[in-house]
Amino acid sequence: MSYGLALIYGVLKIINLANAGFLMLGAYLTWWLFTAYHVHPLLAPLIIVPLFFLGGWALERTLVRRVLGAEPIISLLLLFGVWLVLQNLAYVIWTGDTRSIETAFVDATVALGGLTLSVPRIYVFVMGALVLVALQLFLTRTFLGRAIRATAQDRDAARLVGVDVDRVMGIAFGIGIALAGFGGSLLSLLFSFTPDFGRALSLKSFCIVVLGGLDSIVGVAFGSLALALAEAFGVRYMPASLQNLISFVVLVVVLIALPKGIVGTLRALRRG
Amino acid sequence: MASRTAAAAIVLAALVAAPFLAARSEYAIEVLFLIFLYGAMATAWNLLGGFAGQVSFGHAAFLGIGAYATTILISNGVSLWIAVPVSALLPGLFSLLIGVPAFRLRGPYFSIATIGIGEATRLIALNWTSLTGGASGLTLAGAPPMLQQYFAALALLVAAVGVAAWIRVSRFGYALAAVRQDPDAAETLGVATTVVKSQALFLSACILGVAGSIYALHYLFISPDSVFGFSTAVSFVIMPIIGGLGTVTGPLIGAVVYTFIREQLAATLANADLLAFGVLLIAIVVFEPRGILGIADRIRALRKRPAVTVADG
Repeated sequence: MSYGLALIYGVLKIINLANAGFLMLGAYLTWWLFTAYHVHPLLAPLIIVPLFFLGGWALERTLVRRVLGAEPIISLLLLFGVWLVLQNLAYVIWTGDTRSIETAFVDATVALGGLTLSVPRIYVFVMGALVLVALQLFLTRTFLGRAIRATAQDRDAARLVGVDVDRVMGIAFGIGIALAGFGGSLLSLLFSFTPDFGRALSLKSFCIVVLGGLDSIVGVAFGSLALALAEAFGVRYMPASLQNLISFVVLVVVLIALPKGIVGTLRALRRG
Repeated sequence: MASRTAAAAIVLAALVAAPFLAARSEYAIEVLFLIFLYGAMATAWNLLGGFAGQVSFGHAAFLGIGAYATTILISNGVSLWIAVPVSALLPGLFSLLIGVPAFRLRGPYFSIATIGIGEATRLIALNWTSLTGGASGLTLAGAPPMLQQYFAALALLVAAVGVAAWIRVSRFGYALAAVRQDPDAAETLGVATTVVKSQALFLSACILGVAGSIYALHYLFISPDSVFGFSTAVSFVIMPIIGGLGTVTGPLIGAVVYTFIREQLAATLANADLLAFGVLLIAIVVFEPRGILGIADRIRALRKRPAVTVADG
């Protein structure tokens, strides 16, 4: 779910604080489509992904573009404002009550050689992996994907070789937002949520992205793994209510100790 | 400059006289009190966030530590005269502790780390039940008279603004401005960037600690979600931006706007106030990053323009 964040950071060099808002919105839309129109939660991404892509693209066109040249802190504050609006709009529309999606599918389990696995968890894991592969293929094999990477590496050079940088930035932002919405939709199958849903998760996303190195897609996958392991082991030694604390501590430690990301992390993991 | 000092003196005299003139209107006194308290908090945040350009989303930690220190000390029979200074110093010490790692980060990375720090302190307050009472919070038995609270908040505001005004014209203030504009150039010119940022954070934390003290004595009830809450940290960020980042009067204007919007909207519809602040924040960042003060400058410039054309002709 952090890929979108990495993509937007890589291409536009801004940190998308509104990510949490779009994640939450993805979850709510899935829930809303399900309860009001009986759209199966698994089909919701078909609507959410294009919708969020357009939304992200429009957001980049109308607001983000205006502050790209300014100090980085300005774009951070802008997207923070967007997050505030999304979050509190959700409070106004859907109230702060906890919501969850309940279908037969959500509670289904499957026995696999003595292990009982929850079907939605497997589904989310598979979809996450598929998206990773699809994104990697898109970025390396298609012209548009290469244009996005070129823009991420050097905006001016990309423009020199004929890439329509403005268009690419809009598309990259759109994809980033669409990924956040998709992630939110998937996560709504696993967890109950409130309008505050995305905050802790987004911090984890930041953590993952920083762990993995801020502009590498494969690094993001390693980052997710490292954080999941840290949390899983941490819970054995401290109460579960402090689980989130682990990711914040990891985030701060990693930001400080490993600003270069995955390479150093991998070595440290092997040694440990 | 002289006219500005005179204006400030008049406003201050009016505010000192206000509770005696409007003694019957408890609501007006309450609103003024809140403006002072929020103004002091916004000014404190602005020392680091505005002057030094280090946007922190974790400043609620200092307010929370101050509020909890006061409540716990007073519940254990410690005098107010000891509790308040302790509530100022504890957040200050904490700020030095987190400043060491956090200031190794720059710009947006620093901001993200501060979200993590703020959340971490909230979770610790929530789970350290033996000290903080956990999610159910802590209560105090009796509040000092409203008049005392009013003057305590006013005194804190005056002190905070005094610090900000001094920083604005001091060598220290120029060092912070250099850090904001270009940390590398500042370092090259002999500004110890980490040291000056830590000093600004320390001052900021001490003021917020006292604000936390006053907060606890006013509301008599604190919980991790109120004083350590993310929306509290957010309000510190919003006020200076509304008024004008890195100025002395900006955070005060922001506090006035913030308090009025909050008082109007919070009662009608939950979270409508934060929604309004989000919209306001986007509008300000996109159209006038210098806030209300920037808009005032533009209006002044518009008024002057006709005179210039006449001179040209």
